[in-house]
This record gives sequence, C-alpha cells and structure tokens, in this order.
Amino acid sequence: MSNRLYSIVSKVMDVPESEIGDQSGPESIKVWDSLNLYMLIEDIEAEFNVKFTMEEILEIKNVGHFKKLLANHGCELNE
Amino acid sequence: MTKEKKLSAYTLESKKINVLDFKKQIRIALLSSFTLDGLDETIKVKCAEINVGCHVFSGGYNQYNEEILNTKSKLYAFSPDICFLILDIRDIFGDLFYSPYNLSVEKRREFIQNKVDELVNLAKSFIEKSNSKFVISNFAIPTYSPYGIFENKTDYGLQEMVFDLNHKLNNAWKSENSVYFYDLNGFVSRFGQNNVFDYRQYFFGDLKISLNHIPFLANDLLGFIKPILGFNKKCIVLDLDNTLWGGIIGEDGFNGIKLSQNDPIGKAFIEFQKYLLSLHERGIILAVNSKNNLEDAIQVIKEHPNMVLREKHFSCLKINWNDKVINLQEIAQELNIGLDSILFMDDDQVNRDYVREALPEVLTIELPNDPSLYALKLTELNDFNVIKITGEDKKRGEMYLQQRRRTEFQKTTINFEEYLKKLNIKIHIKKADEFTIPRISQLILKTNQFNLTTKRYQEEDVIRFSQDEKKIVGCALIEDKFGDYGITGVFIVNKDNPEEWVIDTFLLSCRVIGRGIEEGILDYIINISKKNNVKRLVGNFIPTKKNKPSESFLPNFGFKKENNCWVYSLKNYSKKPSHLLVLGE
Repeated sequence: MSNRLYSIVSKVMDVPESEIGDQSGPESIKVWDSLNLYMLIEDIEAEFNVKFTMEEILEIKNVGHFKKLLANHGCELNE
Repeated sequence: MTKEKKLSAYTLESKKINVLDFKKQIRIALLSSFTLDGLDETIKVKCAEINVGCHVFSGGYNQYNEEILNTKSKLYAFSPDICFLILDIRDIFGDLFYSPYNLSVEKRREFIQNKVDELVNLAKSFIEKSNSKFVISNFAIPTYSPYGIFENKTDYGLQEMVFDLNHKLNNAWKSENSVYFYDLNGFVSRFGQNNVFDYRQYFFGDLKISLNHIPFLANDLLGFIKPILGFNKKCIVLDLDNTLWGGIIGEDGFNGIKLSQNDPIGKAFIEFQKYLLSLHERGIILAVNSKNNLEDAIQVIKEHPNMVLREKHFSCLKINWNDKVINLQEIAQELNIGLDSILFMDDDQVNRDYVREALPEVLTIELPNDPSLYALKLTELNDFNVIKITGEDKKRGEMYLQQRRRTEFQKTTINFEEYLKKLNIKIHIKKADEFTIPRISQLILKTNQFNLTTKRYQEEDVIRFSQDEKKIVGCALIEDKFGDYGITGVFIVNKDNPEEWVIDTFLLSCRVIGRGIEEGILDYIINISKKNNVKRLVGNFIPTKKNKPSESFLPNFGFKKENNCWVYSLKNYSKKPSHLLVLGE
C-alpha cells in the first residue's frame, strides 16, 4: 500500500483513493493535465521532502513512476 | 507571513463552487504574458469565501495584445468588471534581458520609451472599448546584472532601465482614472525572487510565478476586487489588553503593561500602533471595544508616555463590561456605518469566535499569537483599499470623533446563553497541592478585577492554609472547546463554625470573566457545604478601586445582605448555569 502517495494523487486529481493504482495516469485520470501534474509534483515533493530533477520529472507517466522515484530517493511510502 | 493553502487545494475547491449560488457577482478577466494557470480557480474560491460569485475569463497564453486590440475579441464579449494584465520583464525585454549592453545607452533609452508608449496605448485602447477597470502590473527589478557591482556605475543599466520603465508607466497611469498599477515588483520583493521564480517550472511550463505563490498573488488581486465590490473596510475596532499593549491594565497596572521601547514585547505593540495610526491618517476610523474599567484604560490612552494612539484617534470608545457584540453593534450605530464595514481585532480566541458567530458581517481577523506579527498581519490585509482617497477621507476620523461626543451611549441586552452552551466549558475543581499552590498564590497576589476580598496571601500562607483542617483551599482549572486556560479561579473557605462557613477568598482571572464560571465554582462550594450539613454560607465583598466587576456577584447569585456580610441560606436550591460542567476531585 502506498497510502501517502495515493492520498496526494487522490486530492490533487480529485479521484477516490480506491480508484488509484500504480497504472493510474493520463489515460485513466482524465484531469491529468500539465497543471495538475505540476501541482502533484509540488505536493509530493513537499510531503516527502524531496526535489525531483527535470529528467526524473520527464519520466513520469503514471503513479507507479512516482513510487519508483520516491523509492530511489529513499522515501518511506507507508504510513 | 500568513499561511496559505496549496494551489491544488484551491483548484479542487473551485470545482465545488456554483458561481450562480451567490447574489453578488463579479466578472474578472485575466491576461498575461506567461502561464498563470490556477490563478482563475484561486480567485474564484477567494471570491466565494466573501460570498461573491466570480466569473473568470482567462486570455490565451501571451495573447493579451490581440485580446485588447481586437474589438471583437472574447475579452470584450465577456465584458469584465475588472481586467488584470500581468506581465513579466523577460517577455518584454526578450534577449535584451540577458544582453542589455549590446545596445548603446541611447538605444536602451529609446527601447524603454517605446515599451512605455506601447503599454500606454494598449491600456488606452482597452479603456476606450470597455467600462471595466484595468489593472496592469509593473515589473520586478532584476537582481542580477552581468556588470555585477559595476552595474550602478553604468549609465542606464539593466536595473535602471526597469526602474525607469516602472516609473514612467506609473506616471502615465496617475491621470487615468480607470487604470491601476499592480505592484508586482513589491510582490516579488515581499516573497523573494528566488521563491517566486522557479526555474524548473519556468522551463517546464513558462511559469514565471511558481505554483505555490499563485494563492498569494490572488490575495493581492483581491485587494483590487474588494473595493470594486464595495467590500472595503472603513473601521478597525480594537481590543486593548494584549492587542494595543502587552498585558492587562486591570491586573498589571499603568506601570506594568508592556509598552516600552526598552522591551521587545512593548516595541511590538508600539510598532502595531504606528501602523494603525498611518491607516487612521489616511481615513480609516479606529474604535475600541474592550472589557475594562473605563478609568484604568482611559488613563493609559491619555497619559501613558508610549501610547501612539490617543483619545483623539478613536472615533468611538466602548470600554465597559458589556457584551462585545452589543458594543460592536453600538459602534456601528453611533458611527453610522454598516457592520460589514468593520474589521475587528482582538487577541482572545473566544471573543473572536463569539463575534464571528454573532456578527458574521464583521470581518474578525485571526490575530497571531505573537505580537511581533501584529504589524505584519495588518500590512498584509487587503481590505482597506479604496478606488480613491479624498481629503474628506483623511478627515473622517475627526468627524466621527465629534459625532462620538454628541452621541449618548445606549445599552441593550442580548441573549448570550446560546453561545455559552456551544463553548462546552468544563470546570475542574482541584485542592491546593504542591503542583497548584504556586499558581494559586500568584493569582491571589495579582488578581484585581474579579476578586471579592482582595486578600493578598503569600505562598507560605497558602501552604499553611492548605494543611489546615478548618480551611478549604481550592482552585478551578477551566477548559472549553478551544483549549485549556489552566488554573484561573481560586477560593478559600473557612470552616471554623461548622454551621456557618465563610468565603474568605474568591477570585477569577479576568480572562474568563463573564461566562458563568464564577457561578459554577460558587455552586460547587455550596454543594460541599450542604454535604457537610452547613446551614449558611457567608461571603464578603470588600470594594477596591479595581474590583467593580465582582461587586454584584453575590447578590445576583441570591446572597442576602445581613449586617455587613452576604449570606446564602443552604436550604435554597442552588442554580448552577446549565452550560457548565463542574468536576470535583
């Protein structure tokens, strides 16, 4: 379970947490546009106290990618 | 700095707003030379918070020239009440931003003059076609120059160019009634260029104001929107104790309150008063709403050497023991202004919440816990803006001052009970012990206002009394839904005569007066007396200069005068206020 991450995605994208999985991305979340993605990045960075590089951000295509990036930064995803 | 929600919170909230739900509507156009996504949603939410339905039109990315110059554009079809044009210096300067010195000094001057002409013509073109107000931003002065420290030895260098651009534009707008200047440079300097401008967001989406600063920008823009709606505040109503000075005049006394340049806390209050005075001088009315003895408080206002605000600066002074809501209503009436023109500042959360609930029209400001932030809080408010400041405005305070001297104070009553019920007040009665005695003695030594006998016992006395079987020394710990007040009440009862107990000391800190707490504590004493088969409870009131607030407490509770004492027959049914929960040990 990636509660902290899913909960932020749920808040920013306004999608129930239960509908969010690692595959969630622009296909499944209609409002996944660039503004929402930037806000998501901001909120995730603030929550986990990390800063992604531009290259890392360009890799992000779905929620699973955030998970991977956060793991690389040594973040604990579970509450 | 006032905290703000994240932009994502605003974009989410904006989806829940139905603009047509509000009676009052406003139409706002946002034009920009760069990406300002999320600003429209944030403004919509902030308008809804003041009960205004906000329709927003956002011009296409960097399409502001076309929108303004083309009579048939969507901008004019939208027909705004106010139009904002937010520009970034990079967009105006282009490559010149990085290499200004490729041009000669003359060419640089010419470049700036051309930009001034362009923007002035653009604004004129807009106000010819529309009845809307037009707000155009100025430019953030770059903090970087390729010339480094030599920049200010350079004639008409990069920074001077932007200074001059701002200056020339500002002059151009002075005579245009419908054009206002938004100080974007001030915004950037308040928050810091390195925070406002985020390179990563700039590269990704041409954002020149970072997402987290959009809500702050929206606050500034609301400063233009509110006066157009007529939502500007005309009057600041102020509490006194811990609002205009540190400490409590009734407790700490004329020489004890904090209002000195030698004391950091005192300085904070002086600074706050100076900002209030500056608002008064430009036409904001000041008034006082404070629970205090009039004589004590007036003495400070008139005689304290470090008071900045004097009696003449206040158009109305309500210094009494009346309900703060009644006082506010009377202030509005006497000054003949709407409650919705009033901004209320009080350090006490309970007062604020009570006023907010009883008078939602009044804007009750969340004052920070730390007085060092009072002045900042005041300067951050966007509620005093007016479209115009007249000579009359500046004299307004004086006018009201005269009116005050004419008007007689009128008193009415209101039912306070509903509010008290919602407070969930709990009184925990505790016996004096090693943990409570230091605070008990402190209260005994310093409480003035609600103090029946004002007997000043030293800590050693209190320790001795607490071990005496013929005495009860107790204290009351008060809490309500907002938090814990700590020990704020003290009582000492003499049990020398088993049939007639005497209340030797009964006091309550002024922080909690007027919420029925005193009655709750007295009721507790009565119940204990009854359990011990006592027949009569005797109380005394020894008047002092400052204990007027407790004068009628015993007779109001049902004590009857006998000789020089107040006596309560324990056959009587005691009447604890129903909104309180009293818990003994």
